[in-house]
Amino acid sequence: MILGIETSCDETAAALVTNDGRVLANVVSSQAKLHARYGGVVPEVASRHHLELLLPAVRQAFDDSGTRLDQVERVAVTQGPGLVGALLIGVSAAKALAWARRLPLVPVNHLHGHVASLYLEPDPVEPPFLCLLASGGHTLLLDVRDRRTLEVLGTTLDDAAGEAFDKGARLLGLGYPGGVEIDRLASDGDPEAFSFPVARVPGLDFSFSGLKTALLYTVRDLGPEETEGLRADLAASYQHAIVRALVERAEAAAQATGAERIAVVGGVASNSELRRSFSNAVFAPPALCTDNAAMIASAARFIEPIPYPQYLALDAFA
Amino acid sequence: MLILAFDTATDVATSALVWDGEVLGEQSSRPISVLQDLDAILRRGGVRDTQVEGIAVGIGPGSFTGLRMGVATARALAFAWNVGLAGVPTLEALGAGAPGAVPVIDARRREVFVQLDGHPVVLSPADLSVVPGRLYVGDGALLYREQIEARGGAVPPDGDVHLARARFHAQLAETFGPPDLVEPMYLRVPDVDRVSP
Ligand SMILES: [Zn+2]
Repeated sequence: MILGIETSCDETAAALVTNDGRVLANVVSSQAKLHARYGGVVPEVASRHHLELLLPAVRQAFDDSGTRLDQVERVAVTQGPGLVGALLIGVSAAKALAWARRLPLVPVNHLHGHVASLYLEPDPVEPPFLCLLASGGHTLLLDVRDRRTLEVLGTTLDDAAGEAFDKGARLLGLGYPGGVEIDRLASDGDPEAFSFPVARVPGLDFSFSGLKTALLYTVRDLGPEETEGLRADLAASYQHAIVRALVERAEAAAQATGAERIAVVGGVASNSELRRSFSNAVFAPPALCTDNAAMIASAARFIEPIPYPQYLALDAFA
Repeated sequence: MLILAFDTATDVATSALVWDGEVLGEQSSRPISVLQDLDAILRRGGVRDTQVEGIAVGIGPGSFTGLRMGVATARALAFAWNVGLAGVPTLEALGAGAPGAVPVIDARRREVFVQLDGHPVVLSPADLSVVPGRLYVGDGALLYREQIEARGGAVPPDGDVHLARARFHAQLAETFGPPDLVEPMYLRVPDVDRVSP
């Protein structure tokens, strides 16, 4: 059994996963509401809450699954990338839990974790596949050949897809996190009402900053009253532009690598239009789309663990 | 009582293993490697984990990140070993190592943490009331040595006296209780420069 810990951004998470990929417990304490009033994650606020929430999350994972620490065979933790101050709370706790039982420790790359959300039971996805990872922090196209390795084919040159949703939501006077709000509002709008261009950059990279500017100008030209009346159309058109960029680039990447399958992971994978727009793609289960620790424990099944005592000075990375 | 104590609130992390007031082992390094120190002092002392009866941790004030690393480590150990945890103010441990001296911890942003009438406060080094002839210790005293000495205070040469040595955390620890009750002493509200997730 593997204990997973994740504190890279604004979710404090602990999970227990069996060596063959069954999720026994998956506890996620989200701070999203806390950060809502700032319109984004405040690192110091996030770190303070991680510290408060982590041990209760670990305890709850054991309670939920009726297991105990002495059944854990390895401890897995997100080492990076993310907010270093936040990561260090998970890393410190994971190292201490592992050391207290002289267990091996597995430092996990957060991106590997997202991909490994596809390897969990009951419907594990077998590589090779082309993976689109779209979240508030990342927009990546990954060539996944096997469960241990991945190659980055393209990334965003500016904003992440989830960030584009957040910024768009703010311009439209919607709440945070923006993706959920825009998705909800867009279902009543016309995606063709406005034409928002997504910059075409060479290769397999993305760029969303121009899109946000286009929305800003449109909202300014319309004025507050008209914007209010057309909010659903604006949301639908804006979402459509982001989704179209993601789908087009992912399909181009699949073609370039000869991948027969596309898999979508990360918070944006729960977007309803994105789910409809791919003709043939697998999606991570919704509960595993946002940051969680089950995916970190899952990734740890395929990574060589660091034996005691070699991890005692392990650091996090941004 | 066998106590494992450590403090990571400043750049130098201190650790100690103390049995009924007798120091069995002591070590210092950086906050990131505090577990390496704890591992070494337990091994050198020939002590098994199961013999540790309580954990004492420095709760600051100090570096927010360092502080949280220490408290996260301490809470996890207390949970894993099912022993009580005690939080000890870093300024008090620093002061206990230099009786009569004023403990001063660097608070960054050109400020210091000091104990004022028994309470920790954050203030500008210029607002520190320096008593002529009195000793000032800690990384804040070293950093603002010139200002303190110009006003008649004395700052000893760099050395152990400027560290919040964990043997004093073990000495000062009173109640060993549930790990969640031990919290960092921040003394400052968070900045709200936000980043997108
Ligand atoms: Zn993520």
